[in-house]
Amino acid sequence: MALLEVRGLVKRFLGVTAVDRVDLVVEPGELVSLIGPNGSGKTTLFNCITGYLAADDGRALFRGRDLTRVAPHRAARLGVARTFQQVSVFPRLSVLDNLLVFLQQHQEEHLLARLLRTRRVRRLETEAVARARRMLDLVGLTARADAAAGSLSYGQRKLLAFAGALMPDPDLLLLDEPAAAVNPTMINQMKDHILGLHRQGKTVLLVEHNMDVVMDISQRVVVLDHGQKIAEGSPEAIRRDPRVIEAYFGR
Amino acid sequence: MRQAGGLVLGGVVVAAPWLVAAAAPRQQRYVLHVLIFTALFAALALSYDLVVGHVGSLSLAHPAFFGVGAYTAAILATRARWPFLADLLAAVLVAAAVAALVGVPLFRLAEHAFAVGTLGLALVAGIVANNWVEVTRGPLCITGIPKPALGGLVVRTLPANYWLALAALGGVVLLYRGLTTFRLGRAFHAVRDNEPLASAAGIDPLKYRLLAFTIGAALAGGIGALYVHYLSVMCPEEMTVALTVNLLVIVFLGGVGSLRGVLLGAVLFTALPEVLRLAPTWRLVIYGALLLLVVVRAPEGIESLLRRVSGARAGR
Repeated sequence: MALLEVRGLVKRFLGVTAVDRVDLVVEPGELVSLIGPNGSGKTTLFNCITGYLAADDGRALFRGRDLTRVAPHRAARLGVARTFQQVSVFPRLSVLDNLLVFLQQHQEEHLLARLLRTRRVRRLETEAVARARRMLDLVGLTARADAAAGSLSYGQRKLLAFAGALMPDPDLLLLDEPAAAVNPTMINQMKDHILGLHRQGKTVLLVEHNMDVVMDISQRVVVLDHGQKIAEGSPEAIRRDPRVIEAYFGR
Repeated sequence: MRQAGGLVLGGVVVAAPWLVAAAAPRQQRYVLHVLIFTALFAALALSYDLVVGHVGSLSLAHPAFFGVGAYTAAILATRARWPFLADLLAAVLVAAAVAALVGVPLFRLAEHAFAVGTLGLALVAGIVANNWVEVTRGPLCITGIPKPALGGLVVRTLPANYWLALAALGGVVLLYRGLTTFRLGRAFHAVRDNEPLASAAGIDPLKYRLLAFTIGAALAGGIGALYVHYLSVMCPEEMTVALTVNLLVIVFLGGVGSLRGVLLGAVLFTALPEVLRLAPTWRLVIYGALLLLVVVRAPEGIESLLRRVSGARAGR
């Protein structure tokens, strides 16, 4: 069974159809990229899949549950993690706390137990801290663990947001332009991280503008233009597809 | 070293009635009265900071919850002859219930609209207090509210009232710390810092906002009850926008979202206007000038000044 199955998804803004009857299937363990010119509806599609926008029509089934009908925090708890195009961290929380936030709601959410700091909650916290430290090692932010996240550089914040999305070990990871506006070294680093996840068997859906990244790492590429899916296939096939070339460069 | 300093400060605060009696025997009643007000205002400001400082929702409705609690206690104590602890509990519950009820529609409003909406609630509450004469006696005020009594022990003297207010402040401080640190605090702060991202972390922003709003209101209601039992009178003027302004000054000039900052703000901005009575003509001018000075020199609150000083001392 597909992990994510988008069927006939439609989203309109004041008469503009931003997402127009899009179908998209992602199988467990796949690494799929979603590309398209600016304004082609990639991020809108992401927002519909993760509950941030209410779809006007169609469904997005994640393990049979329709994500277009749930609140964002519910989608997250079901195992769908996402990052944002605009780099997004909790600026006044420490770097370590930024990561802990992403795990604690998945571990437990009993308000009274949290207030009273029961033994169980403290044990879960210890586990969470250990995992967060490993994540900081992975993205190379260990030295900044206690700094406020708002004091990090743009690239570091991007890595932190990425690590945060990984904290709860999500079943489906939606990455919105992880390689945009960072330097070439960081782009390669990001690529390695994503490939590493893929090798671990994680399912990743990627929105990305950087064609080198997309063509290098994706198993399958889906192309949107004006809200419609115009092509889908292997990176090589997409590179040669005349409709894709036309959408990107005009006729 | 720091612990020793804390113990000394704690000792001074608890022993204040005796210290005042020794240092200023003729002024004792007045000074103690100011200290009781300071303790109650500190507790009220902390309950307000749960909402403003920790989930970042600029509510202006706090006087409404304070007033609801105060009137609940006043009415139950005078007309129904409820014992103190029972009407205190009722004040807490009624204020919390009102907050939970109005909170759901209010939090549907975005930032500024939320502030205006809560201001509306505060104004409506004031109008109701003034005009629902059958229940609140309106501008005639509810009088003859008995002194607080714990079991058979009546809290009659000023020192006893001070210790009661101090105990209440202590309880609020403990709850404030429990709520604003560790996992709950982290969730609150995540909602405050970046709501969409908090959702992506699996946090229900509305739930945590409502939680802070309701607990803040419950505490305000309880403090309202203590307040009327101490003063023995409750009038509509006690819950006007002037109270909001006071709370805003304490919280924002003290240090929003910081226990130390809010406590400092409460001490400074409750005691200061009283100290300035020494120069009655210039009192408000000096007070205003001091507020301006803080806003200009320490826009993040006095607490940030302290942090800078201790940071410099640590050699950073």
